[in-house]
Amino acid sequence: MSITNKITVKRAEIAVAVILALCSIALMIKSAENRITWNAEENMGAGFLPFYLSLGMLICTVLTIIKFVLKRSPQSKDDSPFIEAEAFKYIAVTIISLVILVLAIGYLGIYFSLIFFLAFYLRYFSSKSILFISVFSLITPVLTFLFFEWLLKIPLPQGISEPLFYPVYDFMYS
Amino acid sequence: MDVFILLLEGIFVSFEPLNLGLLIFGCLIGLFVGAMPGLGSVNGVAILIPITFIIPPTAAIIFLAAVYYGAMYGGAISSVMLGIPGASTAVATVFDGRPLAVKGEAMTALTAAAVGSFVGGTVSVILFTLFAPPLAEVALRFNAPETFALMVMAFATFVGLGGDDVPKTIFSILIGLALSTIGLDLITGKPRLIFFNIPGFLHGINFLVLAIGIYGIGEMLWTLEETKGKVQMSKLSVNMKEVGRAFGALKKTIMAMNIGSFLGFFVGILPAAGATPASLMSYGITKQLSKNSKEFGSGVPAGVVAPECANNSASTGSMLPMLTLGIPGSPTTAILLGGMILWGLTPGPLLFTQEPEFVWGLIGSLYIANFFTLVLNIALIPAFLMVLRIPFAILAPVIFVLCVTGGYAPTQSLHDVWLMLLFGFAGYILRKLDYPVAPAVLSIVLGPLAEKALRQSLILSDGSMGIFFDMAEKPIAAIIMYIAIVLLIMPAFGPLYRKYFKKAQTT
Repeated sequence: MSITNKITVKRAEIAVAVILALCSIALMIKSAENRITWNAEENMGAGFLPFYLSLGMLICTVLTIIKFVLKRSPQSKDDSPFIEAEAFKYIAVTIISLVILVLAIGYLGIYFSLIFFLAFYLRYFSSKSILFISVFSLITPVLTFLFFEWLLKIPLPQGISEPLFYPVYDFMYS
Repeated sequence: MDVFILLLEGIFVSFEPLNLGLLIFGCLIGLFVGAMPGLGSVNGVAILIPITFIIPPTAAIIFLAAVYYGAMYGGAISSVMLGIPGASTAVATVFDGRPLAVKGEAMTALTAAAVGSFVGGTVSVILFTLFAPPLAEVALRFNAPETFALMVMAFATFVGLGGDDVPKTIFSILIGLALSTIGLDLITGKPRLIFFNIPGFLHGINFLVLAIGIYGIGEMLWTLEETKGKVQMSKLSVNMKEVGRAFGALKKTIMAMNIGSFLGFFVGILPAAGATPASLMSYGITKQLSKNSKEFGSGVPAGVVAPECANNSASTGSMLPMLTLGIPGSPTTAILLGGMILWGLTPGPLLFTQEPEFVWGLIGSLYIANFFTLVLNIALIPAFLMVLRIPFAILAPVIFVLCVTGGYAPTQSLHDVWLMLLFGFAGYILRKLDYPVAPAVLSIVLGPLAEKALRQSLILSDGSMGIFFDMAEKPIAAIIMYIAIVLLIMPAFGPLYRKYFKKAQTT
């Protein structure tokens, strides 16, 4: 039995509800770092609203768990896989490549990271030729650069590749 | 008469070269965005909002409203040609649009969708022009308690009319509100919910980070899972004979146009509703009232016209509370409202007196956008079909690039990009488990406004919540609050009603 068959909608429902309940408790504890009381003299403490909003979230997740236990929600009776094996490949590769992209942006800078991301993604999922993938992966960051840096004047992160752009800036602003 | 003059001025504003150029460009982008499976107006507006920072607010709202409008038209194209709704607003269009395409009458379906959208758009923008000024005048008398009551009603509408799992809907509202409290407290100046002392949280969470995460990254993941990059497109022959035949078929759709236009507008005004339920309701009612109701679902033009008329009409309707009351009527208008705050405007009735060019420029542009979108929609059908042939494996990374750059640009912080990814993944998982995500986006936009109104009200009342329920002092706030309470408790009576109704039926 593959991992995607083991994770059923039913299991995902209860796991997510428990995680959300724990997150709500964490938010309540964090909110309590500020005053969470409310009275006429001092008005509302800074932690009052986030604390009670988190408490409300906790109540909602507990209700979801109760509905699950009583089998009142459609998900509580659903033993089908949460995600199909073929779709899982798409989703997992996409998520991992996006995480690596953002990690790489901090180090390599956005433009070079985008080249690698696009080349990998297109090579992995599309049946396009190497030439198409190369051209596409190079043109997209160039257009991104022109749009943000030249037209909008918004600098995007360049990491260690920043010195390579100095001549381009000299040309743009000279 | 005043309204007519203001409207004319608005139309002149939208004819200014920059505004007109952006309007046509927005219509085009909207049509393409709407036509792409998995992308709708809300995704288009969320992803494109960061690029509006360099243009004046009037041009920005005209551009984004045109994208919104265009996407409503475009959604029908993939519903008909691929059998996959371009957006949730075009789900009902598949019911009869797809069978028409399968029968070889795709051109009839596409023409019915375009003309239906045009009629719905035109009727609704006329209603908008008539209703907006008086409603804004009433809303001008609103103070903090009334504003807070309105916000509560907006949240309650999601619970009362949402039709989703109630605890999950309330959770979605509360998490959006909780996220909006992150950062410095506006009254005491104390930092709140600064996780792991990461400085990025001090400036709060920009609503765009959540919106792009959920509607950009999350939606793409959802669509990748649904389509796995594969699509099956119907054949289409475009010639004058086909177009003529398509227009001929519209004679029998007058009733659908009426139902769609009026119902769509009024459903669109409701905060929880928007274009998706409007189109589904319009389809259902038209089917029920039609003499040929049994033919619905097998490919009748009225089955395409009804939802398309309604979704365009609802998109205009949803802008009415956004402009007059400062509360959004749909997820897309929630993002537009957030955009207004970013552009330095205060959403609400004061816009009508302080920023007439902005308000009437937008209203005027809706008339113009309606015309251009109809023309572009029919003229560019072959181009849309080419775009629809682009494999999703190519489109998806381009959208991801737009999301990453769009998430970074507003605050120029990688912290926000990480948050956007987190919200995207979380939104995707939660949506798969039937947690509605739209209330969270609405809440993060309205959260700071609601908190400000609540705290101002409590300062006015020396800390008493009674200010919201005082029929003598604050009748409008009290009435709105009582309506909100009814909406909140309404779902609790649903099972009782069904039980009683079933019992009555069996006896």
